[in-house]
Amino acid sequence: MEKASSRLRVLALLVALMFIALSTRLWFLQVLATQRFDKEARDNSVRFEYTDPLRGQMYDAQGRKLVVNQESLEVRITPDQLGDKGEAVVGRVAELANVPIRDIVAKLQDKRFLPSQAIPVAEFVPKEVGFFIAEHPSQFPGVEVVKTAVRSYPFGRLAAHVLGWTGLIDATQYVDLQKQGYGPNDIVGKFGLESVYEPYLRGERGKQKLIVNADGETIQALGTIAPTPGDDLQLSLDARVQRLAEKALAEGMARAHAYHDQNGRTLQANAGTVVVLDANTGGVVAMASNPGFDPSWYVHGLTPQQNKYLSKNANAPSVSRATQLTYQPGSTFKPITGLAAIKEGFASLSGSYPCDATYTKSGDTSGTVFHNWTTANLGYMSIGRALIVSCDTVFDAFGGDFYDQYAQNSIGSHADLLERDLHDWGFESQTGIDLTSEANGFVPDPAWAAEPAQSCPTCAFPYGWVPGGDIQTMIGSGYVLVSPLQLAQAYGAIANGGHLCRPHLVDQIVAPDGSIAKRIDSHCDQTVPYTPQELTYIREALRGVVSSGTAQCAFAGFPTSQVAVAGKTGTAERPPHQDTSWFASMVGPDPDHPQYVIVTMVEQGGFGGQTAAPITRQVIDALYPNLNDASQPSCVTPDR
Amino acid sequence: MDVVAGRAFADERRPIRHVDWLLIVITLCLSVVGLFLLYSATNQTLRQDGLDPFARVSKQAFTIGLGIVVLLVMSSVDYRFFKVYAGFIYLGSLLSLVLVRIPGIGSTDSTGTAQRWFDLGGVQVTPSEFCKLALIVMLATVLSELRTPEPTLADLLKLLGLAAAPMVLVFLQPDIGTSIGIAAIVVGMLIVAGTRLKHLLVLSAAGVVMIGLVFQTGAIQDYQRARLTAFLDQQNATADVRYNLDQSLIAVGSGGLTGKGYLNGTQTNLDYVPEQHTDFIFTVAGEEFGFLGAIAVLALFALLLWRAIRVAWLAKEPFGTYVAVGVASMFAIQMFVNIGMVIGIMPITGIPLPFLSYGGTSILVSFAGVGLLESIHMRRFT
Repeated sequence: MEKASSRLRVLALLVALMFIALSTRLWFLQVLATQRFDKEARDNSVRFEYTDPLRGQMYDAQGRKLVVNQESLEVRITPDQLGDKGEAVVGRVAELANVPIRDIVAKLQDKRFLPSQAIPVAEFVPKEVGFFIAEHPSQFPGVEVVKTAVRSYPFGRLAAHVLGWTGLIDATQYVDLQKQGYGPNDIVGKFGLESVYEPYLRGERGKQKLIVNADGETIQALGTIAPTPGDDLQLSLDARVQRLAEKALAEGMARAHAYHDQNGRTLQANAGTVVVLDANTGGVVAMASNPGFDPSWYVHGLTPQQNKYLSKNANAPSVSRATQLTYQPGSTFKPITGLAAIKEGFASLSGSYPCDATYTKSGDTSGTVFHNWTTANLGYMSIGRALIVSCDTVFDAFGGDFYDQYAQNSIGSHADLLERDLHDWGFESQTGIDLTSEANGFVPDPAWAAEPAQSCPTCAFPYGWVPGGDIQTMIGSGYVLVSPLQLAQAYGAIANGGHLCRPHLVDQIVAPDGSIAKRIDSHCDQTVPYTPQELTYIREALRGVVSSGTAQCAFAGFPTSQVAVAGKTGTAERPPHQDTSWFASMVGPDPDHPQYVIVTMVEQGGFGGQTAAPITRQVIDALYPNLNDASQPSCVTPDR
Repeated sequence: MDVVAGRAFADERRPIRHVDWLLIVITLCLSVVGLFLLYSATNQTLRQDGLDPFARVSKQAFTIGLGIVVLLVMSSVDYRFFKVYAGFIYLGSLLSLVLVRIPGIGSTDSTGTAQRWFDLGGVQVTPSEFCKLALIVMLATVLSELRTPEPTLADLLKLLGLAAAPMVLVFLQPDIGTSIGIAAIVVGMLIVAGTRLKHLLVLSAAGVVMIGLVFQTGAIQDYQRARLTAFLDQQNATADVRYNLDQSLIAVGSGGLTGKGYLNGTQTNLDYVPEQHTDFIFTVAGEEFGFLGAIAVLALFALLLWRAIRVAWLAKEPFGTYVAVGVASMFAIQMFVNIGMVIGIMPITGIPLPFLSYGGTSILVSFAGVGLLESIHMRRFT
């Protein structure tokens, strides 16, 4: 038995080794590596389910709802999950939801989205469609019906360019926004206020923690966090004024179609804008752009026709004329360039200047002749008078003076003083309005003129900066380009005594509980370097434009004793196109403290006094509903 | 010796006075722990299916009750009785293994991959479990009759032949786990019989070659190969097999030092560990009672094996020693392979954990094993 006992010890030893192996491994798993496994156990069983928040709404200054949410039953298709019978599936969806197949196919093939995204193809489908699809999952792979909230616009097309639109996050946006918690099927702001205020409007997703078993069944729901709706936007915009401004613009453009240009063709008047700013705060009261579109098109996903209309139409209806495009300002520029001439000492408020039929810069070797809009010689006149009759040659001469100064001081830091003086008013830079894709505008200058001289023989300035550069800019023609909003901002400074107020559309951001999340204060710190007397002088002169100048026909019979109107017509030549029609103005009961600035512009609209000024008059009537303005524009004043 | 003293002496030697109570207590402890773990592993699933959450626990408790009866019967029978009928028992077990392969007699599991049991009026009886005990008795009989102090080569071949028959039959079912169990029993008993190291090494080498051949000739099914190799080559394991092992490791690992608390294991409650009530029952202990709980279960097995080896040591004659060694080897290898598989150091083979895994035959055979040990212990003086 001695031997057996030693052999039993061997057996016992083997068994002991087994226990050592098992215990060591358990120690590793349960003590050393437990954190990793603990995390895996959690990842296993914990799922999060998210609920989309309601997007913030938009109200006008009076609290009228401009953008709200509407519940919609939406059919979404994920191209990746359609399977090999995709065509049949799409066909069934098209028939059920009563949407043309090609519309669905176009949406699914949109290159902006990934095939793994659930793309909305039909909205507001009846409940029965939802039930049918849910009950026949095998017939509809990759198709889901989702109850969701979509944008709705109680005023229809009103202010579409301002409000903007939303849409399914596209592939490039998703790359950027993923880190901020956006999912591949989220709806985001794409344009306008919807885009600029996306972080406020979005809200926070609701989250529910679910405990699921190995089959994915929910065993327990824990820790529900309700979604937080997005903040609402309270706009400075007044829906009533906006509506009437859009109406005035459309009617004015329609009227213009009956007029003829100098060559006897009827005016195209194909596009235009009206910008109404609060002169003292920069708040946008109205901002109309024509042609327009219906923002709800984007809610339903653009049909091929709508897409074609928005992207292929020569008039680019989705582009806001107020902020995205720039134009030669024509004579509306004269108050500003005139002030520059005064500032640089070429003119004074008390001086008199010849308004000849033509102007040729003395010493200009090219001998270029600049014509006034009239062939008559109007004699000597003040700056004010030159504004009232819109005399070009007076300002042409100041342009010549600017050129001389440049020529004498061409190596200074400010090669051209006119350019610097225009920068003072904010030209050639964005106003900073809370909208997307704002244009910069352009002020020609010697450096720009010098550039193409070497590389581009067909460019405008083959010999570098010439007197014509300054002369044309003085009267708002040639190469200078401004957006209607920039011009409105500048006129605001003339109106309010020299403050350049940053235009803004949103007055305050209101949290879901009604508290003010953010108040958008007016930014009027930047000033223009002109004295109150100089600005008062200009306002007075511009009232003369309305009472006895180039806008007198447009404002015939207007009760200026109740509401003072100071404005400047503009007619910018844009061959081969027809002239751009402008009227930039400031209005208010107190002539010394105008309330609003109104800039109206109609592309190919003819004379400023002909098309833009009467539109402005209609807008003023809208701003002052108690104003008894029964008269009509009586005649047409030609001007430049 | 006077009559009274003689009677007293005889009385001292009565088997009933030499019951190993500790062995009984350990066995019952393991069984009760098993019931608690089984409840945790099954109650949620049963509830979800609208069934009595205690359904599995009740059935297991009934089997344990039956097991206690088996234990009492086995311990009251003189174990030497089995030596007399060892041949019949052995042949009977082989016959059952053959019968279970015949369609219509033996039953196939739901996946149709294995044919392992008889369906006796709703009770599944797995002959491969019983054949382990039969083989132990047979080998012990042969070993106890050896004329030489250690088995000769001829003896070895004879013993291996005896073991190979049930092993091959079980392997064909296929039931790799039980085949491994049988191999371990043979090795354990041969070690104690004093087999020369040289012979044992040759035997091991032959075993390795056999396994290699089995893999090469495709005698095992793909799913078995996948399960066996998953733990060797974890990166390339198939998803299903990895899932099994991963969930098991997550359950045990996430238990930490002290566990998540009884019935609080997420892996357990949410049904993430497949086969948790049978082969993977140990994960419940690991997850809900942590390292300390797992070690406590190991400690119970350590006590059990200590008592079993002690019985082998105390046995009155070699047959008892060999039977006890066989039973101890059977428990040891099942515990090691099962827990080792759960914690990823042994391949996944369907092998139950004695006293803890849900399943009738396994429980009954384990109790019968304890009964044999008890019988040997009680009769160590008679």
